Amino acid sequence: MAWKREDPPTSNPEPAAIPPRPAVPSPLAPASPEPRRSGERATIGASIIIKGDLSGDEDLIIEGRVEGKVDLKQHNVTVGRSGRVKADIVGKVVTIEGEVDGNVFALEQAILRQSGAIRGNITAPRVILEDGSRFKGSIDMESSRESRPSESPARPQSNEAGKQAGELAGRAAQGG
Amino acid sequence: MSWFSRSRKDTGPIAQLEPEPEVHRSLGLAALLEGMRRRGAGLQILDLGPAVGTNVEFLSQLGCKLHIGDLYTSRVSAGEGDEIGQDQYEQLFPADARLDVVLAWDLVNYLSRAELTRLGTLLRRHCRPGALVFALVSNQKQIPAQPHRFRILGDDQLAYERRSSLERPGPRYAPYDLASALKGFHVDRSFLLRHGIQEYLFVREDEAEETRAL
Repeated sequence: MAWKREDPPTSNPEPAAIPPRPAVPSPLAPASPEPRRSGERATIGASIIIKGDLSGDEDLIIEGRVEGKVDLKQHNVTVGRSGRVKADIVGKVVTIEGEVDGNVFALEQAILRQSGAIRGNITAPRVILEDGSRFKGSIDMESSRESRPSESPARPQSNEAGKQAGELAGRAAQGG
Repeated sequence: MSWFSRSRKDTGPIAQLEPEPEVHRSLGLAALLEGMRRRGAGLQILDLGPAVGTNVEFLSQLGCKLHIGDLYTSRVSAGEGDEIGQDQYEQLFPADARLDVVLAWDLVNYLSRAELTRLGTLLRRHCRPGALVFALVSNQKQIPAQPHRFRILGDDQLAYERRSSLERPGPRYAPYDLASALKGFHVDRSFLLRHGIQEYLFVREDEAEETRAL
């Protein structure tokens, strides 16, 4: 099975009224026209290899291997412990627990977990590198200072988030 | 993705020893941060040490662009006595950036004279005039076998995380050695600390100064 859906738990054991729809286009499971449900996320399983660009309208967890741009500007992207991505990733909150060989553009926050490794550049208003993580590249935090002039040292002000998101999305679209 | 697997294997033994870090007052760091704040936002910083989350968070307050060169891991991977190749040194530096600040930490103590000169040449090429280089040079006969990992705790507070219980002879570079390796830089500030570390803040000279020095 290529896609493993992880919907939020529900008390109703009946099948959902709207049939499941994969988050991103793939030759393994073509996209359907149904409207998006909130809280959806898709998982690329550990045995899956995708060569090609990914885009979509829900959160994504990558446990397999992806060689192609991952573009989910409005959604969260997680590269799980067994996940490997060889391309750029664009997301709202991008969390790396596996390995990424490419650039990461996060509109809100980029998180490199202890088990994670990135070889590439990170552009995000807020960057968290956990101890033990491996990173080689550049971190562009220039936009983060504009949004927090005084007290909060690492968190962007919410009223600036939209502006930053636009700027970062623009930079991501230009490839840096 | 050889970098990932190599790094994971090589850093394993280093990570085994994690005693309580020593915390020292750092007048050099305070002077560096003062200089950085004076220069304003948008600085290009090269950290020759490994990526450390607290340092990234601290430096993010300055609204900078931080490049992680990680000479630390390259140095540890190469092993004592083995020199790092020219190509690896060149890869430490971002190709398209003119640097304002370089954090060299204590890595100078783990480089041969030839490597130090190689690093100095690249620093001269990649730093803009007025750029600051922060280095901690040991004057002790014995130094830890591996470079420390440094964590910025405050404007003048540095945590030294020792990564090896073993020791090795220290090169005890004198100011003259550093000056001859770092041509095009002069010592702006220097602080001898009680634990045998001399903190240096070097400044990249502009071309007119360099010409006068020659």
